[in-house]
Amino acid sequence: MLIPPRNFAAELSFPIPTPAAVSEKPCEIECEVISLFDQFRHPLLRYVLSFGLSVHDAEEVAQEVFLALFRHLQRGKSRRNLRGWIFRVAHNLALKQRAANKKLHAALDDDATVVQAKLDATPNPEEQMTSGQTLQRLRTVLRALPEQDRCCLALRAEGLRYREIAATLGISLGSVSFSLTRSLARLGSAEKGLRYGR
Amino acid sequence: MADEELHVSDQDLLHAADGELPGGRTRRVRAHLAACWFCRTRLAELEATIADFVRVHRSTLDPQLPCAAGPRALLKSRLAHAATQSGVARWPKFLQFFFPRGSVAYVAVALLFLTMGSLPIIQHFALLSSSPLHPIESAAVPNRTLTPGATRPVSINDVCSIAHEEVVREVPAALRQQVLHEYGIAYARAQDYEIDFLIAPRLGGAEDIHNLWPEPYTLPTWNAHVKDALEEHLHQMVCQGSLDLRAAQRDISTDWIAAYKKYFHTERPLATSAAGEFDPADPAPENHGVISRARIDTAGQFVRPRRQIASYALAGT
Repeated sequence: MLIPPRNFAAELSFPIPTPAAVSEKPCEIECEVISLFDQFRHPLLRYVLSFGLSVHDAEEVAQEVFLALFRHLQRGKSRRNLRGWIFRVAHNLALKQRAANKKLHAALDDDATVVQAKLDATPNPEEQMTSGQTLQRLRTVLRALPEQDRCCLALRAEGLRYREIAATLGISLGSVSFSLTRSLARLGSAEKGLRYGR
Repeated sequence: MADEELHVSDQDLLHAADGELPGGRTRRVRAHLAACWFCRTRLAELEATIADFVRVHRSTLDPQLPCAAGPRALLKSRLAHAATQSGVARWPKFLQFFFPRGSVAYVAVALLFLTMGSLPIIQHFALLSSSPLHPIESAAVPNRTLTPGATRPVSINDVCSIAHEEVVREVPAALRQQVLHEYGIAYARAQDYEIDFLIAPRLGGAEDIHNLWPEPYTLPTWNAHVKDALEEHLHQMVCQGSLDLRAAQRDISTDWIAAYKKYFHTERPLATSAAGEFDPADPAPENHGVISRARIDTAGQFVRPRRQIASYALAGT
């Protein structure tokens, strides 16, 4: 499925920079952004891919996130919790891209074979050797979870603290805690059910 | 209910495991866990569920993660461009008088040209006398920062079951122009260049500006026709099961000339046979460097060259 390129950074509608707002040399900021890219690219791609986006779309979202980060730092804006900031922007851009893809799929007839291929991904040999059945069951339960629960789990798996998850998803700390507890209880029940043949 | 009050709640157990409990409560939970086998078992089950989730999360997504080199180079290029634009805005007015806005971009292009690999430079200079265009336009290999390659999610079945003509669509005029503009040759002659896919659509390449570049027809050795032959050969190998699709994508996007040499076992482009098919085993030196533009298929029918069918050419430029 071919998705038209989008300029996400433009959609973020940052204010136009003034010379006074630019507090650091761009080359220093560039190096910092590249360093953050090296550090967070994989976690970020995994998170964006968990929305069901293609690798190509996920890569484009990641590029736009770090370009937006460059502009953010260039304007001398807050450096507090950059990891949370990066995931928050990625979350918003991934949602936008998914919405755009849905529109396009509706217009061009969804590429069902690709989607099916993703869902029916055959487990790797390691999975088959260890607990392939359990993992397959977990995948099924995961797909049935509400999106917010899946996002909380995915962000926690990437190392974000509860406060960062709450800020990324725009929900309260209590909601994050409740969501994680509920999701893990469901996953745990599925595992127990499999273990005891229920 | 009484049992729940005696033990640690699921939420507190998770908070304790995640280090999210306040200090006082953490101590209480730890003290309880030290005394209660039941809650320790629940904590172990919770940790096992977390470990299984992480394994599912990683095993599903990690195999999809592409190599970072191309996207990293692309980001660096984009950042440099963004920095240049914002840097120009900060120049004092008197400096802008002596160094107009565009001069920074010219210097950047000149530096880029100077630091490019030796092969494109040799080919650029070889063409200087015959081509009125800027040297950077004539590269046999794309600029990796501009064209690192991009793929779309496809299976082997998709790649092998669909005819080439069905996969390839004409690159939209706006996108073609964008590619030419990106390479600094917005007014290129149509007969000199083809907007080519670095990773061919029949190998899962995406119609994306990161996968498109102006490939010269006019280069004497490593030109668009030679790359066609490589694409066809890799496609055949992938569909015969002798080459992994990802490996084919990686090799052709990293350096398609090196890939040609690797898969055709030759240092120079091979010639086509009378039927227009490439024979990788053909060692005849008289055939080297000559690429036929049309072929006769096995049924004796004349087949148009693939370029004409694909119609990527720069019509209208």
